Amino acid sequence: MKDKNTRISLCAMGALIGMLAMPAVQADPAPLEERLQLCGGCHNPDGNSVIAENPKLAGLNAKYLQRQLEDFKAGKRKNAIMDSIIPMVEESEFKALAKYFSEQKRLPGSLAVVEPVAADPSAPAAAGALSEQAKAELIAKGQQIYMEGVMASAVPACGGCHGEDGTGNDKFPYIGSQNNVYVVNQLTNFKTGARDNDPKGVMRAVAKRMTDEEITAVAEFIQTLKEAQ
Amino acid sequence: MKKLLSIIIVALFSVQASVVLAEGASKPKVYGKKGYVWDEMTPERTQVLKMGGDPVKGKESFRGCQGCHKADAAGVTEGVYPRLTGQHASVLIKQITEIRAGIRQNPKMLPFVEDPAISVEEIGDIAAYLNTLTTVRENGKGAEDMSAKGKKLYTDNKCSRCHGVNGEGDAAKAYPMLSAQHYDYLIREMKWIRQGVRGNSHPEMVKAISKFSQADFEAVASYLSRLPDYRTVTAAVPAAK
Repeated sequence: MKDKNTRISLCAMGALIGMLAMPAVQADPAPLEERLQLCGGCHNPDGNSVIAENPKLAGLNAKYLQRQLEDFKAGKRKNAIMDSIIPMVEESEFKALAKYFSEQKRLPGSLAVVEPVAADPSAPAAAGALSEQAKAELIAKGQQIYMEGVMASAVPACGGCHGEDGTGNDKFPYIGSQNNVYVVNQLTNFKTGARDNDPKGVMRAVAKRMTDEEITAVAEFIQTLKEAQ
Repeated sequence: MKKLLSIIIVALFSVQASVVLAEGASKPKVYGKKGYVWDEMTPERTQVLKMGGDPVKGKESFRGCQGCHKADAAGVTEGVYPRLTGQHASVLIKQITEIRAGIRQNPKMLPFVEDPAISVEEIGDIAAYLNTLTTVRENGKGAEDMSAKGKKLYTDNKCSRCHGVNGEGDAAKAYPMLSAQHYDYLIREMKWIRQGVRGNSHPEMVKAISKFSQADFEAVASYLSRLPDYRTVTAAVPAAK
């Protein structure tokens, strides 16, 4: 079992290879197993990324996934790492990749590795790490926003579209258990307009009404959301 | 060559001119501006009414509205978002299309209903779906029961001429049902209609409530919010022979 650090360095390496290979890169269709090594470096082979910056792909709607790949390919959605990886993948492969990840089971938690990882008490706390109490308060605030929205600033409840358990549907993506840093980044990008491939502009409209604090809170809560059993 | 160039220039100018004309023609007429006509049909509303609506599809499309209006479409008791259950489809279609056309001013809602957030077809579907719903959740009624005073104001100012004696509105004329609406929403909208900020005020209604005090708004809202869903009332009335 690869640990998180190995995954991150693999992911960075993949990106580096991609960047070096650009722009003369030739996309040749490869078997799915081979592709899963490429995607799995950052997203985990089962689509449950253990890196907070990278999204879990497991359980996402296949059409949504395919559209994101197409948008990366066409430059409609931008991300430094994906921009370097996507030229290596042929458009004809998108459908199978999207289908594969859509069929994987999304695992809850921030470190969705197969074996449970106990928190290392000897590990130094990250700079600015929140106390248990502060984190619980942040999650509670996020839950309030997710379930009820923010009336004063007309932020709709996330659960209205994405479902109270975050599983979404064919129109609204599965966001439950999604990695917190990824959610913060996406909401921030929607807010600034850096990400503008939401087909109806609805997420941009929502995120523009959110404060950075609200974005952080809701992302923390989303990470705790589990699919109803 | 010179001739060709001048043709191109003339062509360019005329294209620009026609764009300006088209913009002028499509510019919505908002209440208070010259040429405003209440309930003037927009091409889109005509189209939606002609297409009709499918409540089954509407339920799906309504998902994008639930974040504010809630899964049961009953809005919030604070009145920030109105109750939509049982509202006449014609009223919902009028309001949505007028928000989309820039006649009714609703910047909060606009991003979620403007094209392409919902399609023309979905407007009629959502309206048909909402019309089929009944309210099971308690609505916001305000702290004090001022129904008696409110009923008198409602009757004396002939509100019932359009909105009906039971607050049932009029589907054929696109007058909204008001019964069992949230108290604070009713007050807010009456004020916005009088001030003109809603954009699609009925001039006769502005006149009817022109002298309303804060206490009057509260009394009328108290009365209407305490009226039961009009359908439960009319259903109890035996059909006229």
